[in-house]
Amino acid sequence: MLVDDERESIEPLRQILSHYGYVIYCAETGEAALIEYESKLPDVVLMDVRLPGIDGVEACRQLVAKYGEACAPIILMSGHANLLTDSPDFPLGVVDFLAKPFRPNEALVHIRAHLENRRYAMRQKVLAEELSRSNVAKNKFLGMCAHDLSSPLASIRGMAEFLQDHRIGSLNEKQSQLVATIHEASQTMLTLVNELLDITAIESGEVHLNLAPTPLRTLIARAIDVAATPAARKRMSIHFHPSPTDPIIQLDTTRIRQVVDNLLSNAIKYSRPGSVITVSLELPEATAENQVVRVCVQDNGPGILEAERSKLFTVFGRLSSLPTGGERANGIGLSICRTFVEAHGGTIEAVNQSGGGGCIFCFTLPLSPCT
Amino acid sequence: MHLTGNVLIVDDEPHVRLYISFILRTLGPVTVNEAGNGQEGVTLFHTLRPPPSLILLDVNMPGIDGIDTLRRLRAEGASCPIVMLTSLATRQRVEDAIAGGADHYIRKDTPKDEIIAQLKTLLDESTTPIPAAE
Repeated sequence: MLVDDERESIEPLRQILSHYGYVIYCAETGEAALIEYESKLPDVVLMDVRLPGIDGVEACRQLVAKYGEACAPIILMSGHANLLTDSPDFPLGVVDFLAKPFRPNEALVHIRAHLENRRYAMRQKVLAEELSRSNVAKNKFLGMCAHDLSSPLASIRGMAEFLQDHRIGSLNEKQSQLVATIHEASQTMLTLVNELLDITAIESGEVHLNLAPTPLRTLIARAIDVAATPAARKRMSIHFHPSPTDPIIQLDTTRIRQVVDNLLSNAIKYSRPGSVITVSLELPEATAENQVVRVCVQDNGPGILEAERSKLFTVFGRLSSLPTGGERANGIGLSICRTFVEAHGGTIEAVNQSGGGGCIFCFTLPLSPCT
Repeated sequence: MHLTGNVLIVDDEPHVRLYISFILRTLGPVTVNEAGNGQEGVTLFHTLRPPPSLILLDVNMPGIDGIDTLRRLRAEGASCPIVMLTSLATRQRVEDAIAGGADHYIRKDTPKDEIIAQLKTLLDESTTPIPAAE
């Protein structure tokens, strides 16, 4: 669309554009340009600054205000290019300008470049929408698979535990070994499946919290009880420094338990065999501005390399540190922890201890009920 | 508190019924009765003498699902604790279950000892008189 009240000044350009097969619409005022744009939706606009009625700059503003990102690229034309380029309020949507008088071919190459950009941008938008749809389908599929795998895996693990604790008869050494392997493999798969379920839920924006008043100290103590068994296998012990009282907090018990379980499991994975893992629960001072409780898990691992810190809480952000007992790491757990903690209005961070003393992972939760 | 008498598990997956029956037997000398779907569960409930002292109900089942089965059991006289078994506890599901008269819900992937601990707590706290074994 060519917008200029001096027809003769753009006639050579109109002719050359016609020659190359472009469909051209013309308008002679800003108001007419707005009406013409609405009915024709051109792919590029050449707009003169000086027009009768609203000027070209104002017409640009109105086009951008109305069509936003979908607005065609606008090339301003002016005989006073210096004034235009120095203007502090260069309107959004103006991607280029041509100083009058210009040669038709000069304008042609500008127009071609912007049309090409626009085609790429539109193609990109279509591709992004296709990708987004595919991602939703992938998440749905992954969710269905994980969901269907979770229940049989839980049964396999549970039944292996019944065999292991000799409630239904004793096993010989080889049988015990086989059952231990079944238990461990099903546990690993169950963790992975659940983490995939969490990731698909997070990616589809379906993380809903089931908030209920929960005694946090009890929750942590239970998690430590369960973690004590895998810790003992690596000759580790877990020391708990609990708060003097058991704070009752509005939280999603399952999600926060998952966070604590994950931090404990990581501490066991990455600490030196035979070392001590320390867990603490701190309540805020009565006078403290931020009424948050703080849960910390200190490991005896190699710590986090500064170069890898940015990957720490991201999905599939696997670090170079390796588990000390040949365990598996999938790089999902901490990103899930961050999502769940932040959904509660809390924060999570990892701080290396000086002198190779491992790493402390701490998360906070607000004491007041979150919305 | 020891669990005695009849208990009822309603789940369409046989392996879950088997696993949960092992769990229930750690809680006391119980007779475990199994149903593979909601309709079967409601029918079996009416035949049990004494009536069940605990019912475990899967949420996602083909046919009438766990929440509808729960409502029917409560409407038809089930006064014992009812625990919903879920693979995924979505808020809506949990709210529906509680509104339908469930006492508790347990994710099936909860570690075995914790399921046992939760059931023990529920039975200890339950104000519903648990019928004695005949």
